[in-house]
Amino acid sequence: MKYWTKFLLVTICSSLFFANMAHATAKAAAEIAEKDKSPDKNRKIAHELIDGEFYFSAIPYINTYVEDHQEMDAELEADIDTLVIKTGTMAVLNLEEKKLEKFSIPSISLILGTRLFNSEQYDKAYEVLSRIPESHKFAIEADLMKGTIKNIQRKHIEALNFYNLCVQKSALQENSKAGEKLKRYYTYMKETCLIRTARVKIEDKKYEEALETYEQIDKRSYKWPYILMDKAWAHYYLKDYNRAIGLTVTYKSPLLESYFFPEAEVLMALSYYNLCLYDDALKVVDNFYDFYQPKALALKEILGQNKKSNTYFLDLYYADPETRQNLNPFIRNLITQTRKQVKFNLDLVSLKSAKEELALLKKLKNKNDFTVHLEANLDSTITFISNKINYYIKKEIFTFINEIHKHSYSMFNLKLELLSKKREEIYNSNSEKFNLRDRGSEKNVNRKITQYFFDFNGSFWADELGDYSFGLKSKCIDETKDKK
Amino acid sequence: MKIKYIFFILALISSVSFAQDKANSKANTIYKYKEYEVVDLGSMEIKGQIVAPGDLTVNERERKVFTRSLLEKTNFDFENRREIENLR
Repeated sequence: MKYWTKFLLVTICSSLFFANMAHATAKAAAEIAEKDKSPDKNRKIAHELIDGEFYFSAIPYINTYVEDHQEMDAELEADIDTLVIKTGTMAVLNLEEKKLEKFSIPSISLILGTRLFNSEQYDKAYEVLSRIPESHKFAIEADLMKGTIKNIQRKHIEALNFYNLCVQKSALQENSKAGEKLKRYYTYMKETCLIRTARVKIEDKKYEEALETYEQIDKRSYKWPYILMDKAWAHYYLKDYNRAIGLTVTYKSPLLESYFFPEAEVLMALSYYNLCLYDDALKVVDNFYDFYQPKALALKEILGQNKKSNTYFLDLYYADPETRQNLNPFIRNLITQTRKQVKFNLDLVSLKSAKEELALLKKLKNKNDFTVHLEANLDSTITFISNKINYYIKKEIFTFINEIHKHSYSMFNLKLELLSKKREEIYNSNSEKFNLRDRGSEKNVNRKITQYFFDFNGSFWADELGDYSFGLKSKCIDETKDKK
Repeated sequence: MKIKYIFFILALISSVSFAQDKANSKANTIYKYKEYEVVDLGSMEIKGQIVAPGDLTVNERERKVFTRSLLEKTNFDFENRREIENLR
């Protein structure tokens, strides 16, 4: 028998098996719904549906049961745990925090902890997250969040401890897991915690140590483009303004065109300002307004036109390449960025699974009131997930507009400062001296043994990204020298 | 009675003539000022106490520098929070 024939046979057999299993599950659940009059009815239905892999269909039943009952047992905890793993935060979305607090299972603790963290109830979130056992698979995320809480509360030693635990645990899992997706998840967590460690060091003004930590992140990593900004700040505070400009200019490379960091422009202008290159700084400020103002307006227009739509932004994601090509390139790139977020991808997976589950339900032969009810429930769950993803993209765009506005204010202040410095130059008759600009020189580049040096010849090269440094000479007058 | 009338008429005549004299004298008044006069202020003496400083002095002070809040990165709370929000 040829390979393809075998494959076809296995596929048909397995689909027949699953169809039969689904049918049996639906039948059993329908019987419970019809005949069972006990208070545990909803729980039993949910258990039957979970057994038959109808995870999304089981959510309303398990939620209703938990709402009405206080007691928990191992089987119920196991069912909830499975639901959380299979459907994510959707599993307990309708349950109030007070209800969730009564659970001691790690999956619920993680969801509740995340919810409390997002509503800035840090102490409570820390307490809930601490319930997750150290060796549990969710302990890595819990450590990251607990570290973040301590970080926000400026308890840096404790924060560093949690971040280190997170790095160690994820590194261990990263090497032991066979699945590509899981491996990628643990790498992501490890790198996130490494970045956090470096950020704490920057906050503690240990810039050199922070830069060494960043070196552990691979250039091919998903997180790498984001650390350029952090590294630029570290160099800025080390007064290595040339390297700070070099790092921020990296975002102009075509490979990173979908990344928008208005803050990078502010940092670049600040670096020029600190090198007393006021004309260059002013040029960056003006470019910022020229570049971001039309983009902010375009985004505002799109948001205004579609603020009431529950599907517009999700449809943009699903749009065919031709429609996407016709979009404003800026919005296209912003959607590309959103697609890279973990939450967005998890929600998309949930949406896809829920749709598959609905298709399976619709294929069932013996339809009855119970299956019709299941279909209606699942339909509204799918609508809810779609709305949630749509809202998420909308929120991302809002956040971005706010970022532009925030940094416009920083740029405005910087422009006033620059104009004031230019006036001082004129008063002090230094303007001629300042205008004598020469080109950058290799002599002005601060370089360590581990850092490369490339000439910039008008084009970006992937292997050079992140290693750029300008060689501009500072035009600041040393006042102590002048007085002598 | 007659004497009373005579006195009254005399008084009336005298008052009218006095008013006429006064009006005539006003119309004829000519004021004359000095054509040239020098006032030596330096030699004038004024009695009193000096309460203001004798010289015009200005205390030396630094030029006011207006400090504008330029962007500082003291923490990464915004980025850290967003990372957690984007996780689940």
